[in-house]
Amino acid sequence: MSASLKSKLPVALAWIIGVIAIWEIGAWSLVNIFHDPMATQKLPFLHDIVRVMAQNWASLMDSASVTVSKAALGFLYGSIAGFVIAIVMSLSRNVERVAFPYLIISQMIPILGLAPIIYNIVKDGDTARVVISAYITFFPVSINTLGGIKSVEKDRLDLMYSYAAGKFQVYRKLIIPSAMPYLMSGLKIAAPLSVTAAILVEMLGTDEGIGVKILYTLYYGAGGATMFWASVITSALLGILGYVLISLAEKLLMPWQNTTSKRGGEDA
Amino acid sequence: MNTPEIRIENVSMVYSDNGASVKALDNVSIDIQKGEFISLLGPSGCGKTTLLRIIGDLLQPTSGNVLVCDQTPRQTRMDQKYGIVFQSPVLFDWRTISKNIRLPLEIMKVPREEQNRRIESLLELVGLSKFADHYPHQLSGGMQQRVGIARALAIQPEILLMDEPFSALDEFTREKLNEDVLQIWSKTNKTVVFVTHNIAESVFMSDRVCVLSPHPGRLSAIVDIDLPRPRTKEMRDWPEFNALVAKIRNSFEGV
Ligand SMILES: Nc1ncnc2c1ncn2[C@@H]1O[C@H](COP(=O)(O)OP(=O)(O)OP(=O)(O)O)[C@@H](O)[C@H]1O
Ligand SMILES: [Mg+2]
Repeated sequence: MSASLKSKLPVALAWIIGVIAIWEIGAWSLVNIFHDPMATQKLPFLHDIVRVMAQNWASLMDSASVTVSKAALGFLYGSIAGFVIAIVMSLSRNVERVAFPYLIISQMIPILGLAPIIYNIVKDGDTARVVISAYITFFPVSINTLGGIKSVEKDRLDLMYSYAAGKFQVYRKLIIPSAMPYLMSGLKIAAPLSVTAAILVEMLGTDEGIGVKILYTLYYGAGGATMFWASVITSALLGILGYVLISLAEKLLMPWQNTTSKRGGEDA
Repeated sequence: MNTPEIRIENVSMVYSDNGASVKALDNVSIDIQKGEFISLLGPSGCGKTTLLRIIGDLLQPTSGNVLVCDQTPRQTRMDQKYGIVFQSPVLFDWRTISKNIRLPLEIMKVPREEQNRRIESLLELVGLSKFADHYPHQLSGGMQQRVGIARALAIQPEILLMDEPFSALDEFTREKLNEDVLQIWSKTNKTVVFVTHNIAESVFMSDRVCVLSPHPGRLSAIVDIDLPRPRTKEMRDWPEFNALVAKIRNSFEGV
C-alpha cells in the first residue's frame, strides 16, 4: 500500500501544482494582458479564493455538512437498493429480463427534469435530496455489482458445485466476495454523483446546503465572485472526499488486493 | 468380484459449439474398484479431463452410463463424496491459505476444532505451515497447487478425483508429493482417479493405468501395475518399474 502511495504521490502533486499554476496564470492574464475590467468577476485569483475560503470556513463547513449528510443518506439507501437489485437479477433470469430495460430507461430520464418532479411530490427539500441522491447512486452500483456477479470464474463455481454447496453458501462464500471489487468501483463512481444530486436539489430551493450558497453567491452576488468560487470549490472537494473515503474503505475491506495489481472491475 | 465403486459404461462425449462438434470420448468403459488407485494417462487433448468431469457430475456424457457408489454421479455429489483437484489451483484470492482449505469444511459443517486439526496437519503435509496466513497471490504456482491438494484431502472424500495435480511442480516436489499422497491414500483406502500425462508418475502411483489415445479419446489399454506397496522411491530404479514404463510407452506407439 505504502509503495503504491509513494508512486502516486509525485503524480498527484504534479497535477495539483499544474492546476494552481494554470489558474493563477489565467487570472493574471485577464487582468494584465486582456485588461478585462470584469476580471475579478470572471476568474478571481486562486489565492484570493483560498483566503475567502479560510475566512468563511465555519459557514462553508456548516453548509457542506448539511449537504453531505443528505447525500450520504441517499448514497447509503441507493447502494443498498442497487446491491439488492443486482442480487435479485442474478438469481432469476426472468427478473433480469424484465427489470433490466427499466434500469436503462431510468437512466434516460434527465436528472434535471426528475429532481423538480420529485421535489414537487415530496414537498420537502430534505427528503428530495435523499431520494435524488439514492436514485443516482443505485444505477452504477447495481450495474457494476451485476457485472461482477456474472464474471465469477467458472472453475470456482464448479468447485462449489462439487461440494454440493447450497445457493446461499455459493452467494455468501463465492459470488458476493468476488463481486466486491466491482461493487467498490460502482460505489466510487456513485459517491461524487450523490453529492452532485444533493446540490442539484438544493438549487431548486432549500434552506441550507452548499448548493444554496452557490446559488445565492451567483445570483445575488452575496460575497462576490470569490465567494461563489469558494462555494464551488468546496462542493468539488466534497465529491473528491466521497471518492477518497470509498477508496480507503476498499483498502481496509479487501487487504488481499493491496499488494496485487487490481483485477477487473476498475473501469467496468 | 464385488460391484465396482465407479462403473463407466460405453461413455461417449461430443462437444458442440455453434455447429462445430468435437468427439472428446468414444465409447469408453472402465470399472474401478473401491479403494483402487487408478490413473488416466494420455497426451494432451485425449479427453482425460472430460472423463474426470463426467465422473464428478460436472459434465453429462452424450451417451453411456456412469454409476458411482451404486448411484448416479449426481446423487454421489449431493452426498458430498467427491474431492476434486482441478488442473489449475482454483483458490479464492480473498481467503488466506488456511481459510481456503477451510472452505469445504465450512460448507460440510465439520466442527470447528476438527477443522483446525485437519488444516494444521494438511499444511504440515504439503509443507506450507509457514504460509497459513498468506494470500494465494503471495505463493508460487506450485505452492498454490499444493493448497488445492490439501483442500481436496481436507474433506476426506470417498472418491478423490485429481486432474494433473502435480504437473505444475518441479521434479523434487512432485516425487515427494507422489509419496505423500500414496501414504495418505494407504491409510484411508479411498478410491482415487488420477489424471496425468507423466508415464513414470502413473506407474509409481497406480494399481492400474488406463491409457487413452486422442482424436477421438479412446481407451487403448489398461495396464496392471503389480509392483508391491508401499511404493518407495528406490522402486523407480527397479527393472520391473522400467519395464512397465516401456510397456505403456509402446502401447502409445501402437496407436
Ligand atoms: N468445453 C469444451 N468445448 C468444446 N470442446 C472441448 C471442451 N472441452 C474440451 N474440448 C475438447 O475435447 C477434447 C478433450 O479435452 P480434454 O480437456 O478432456 O483433454 P485432456 O486430455 O484433459 O487434455 P490436457 O492434458 O491438455 O488437459 C479436446 O480436443 C478439446 O478440444
Ligand atoms: Mg485436462
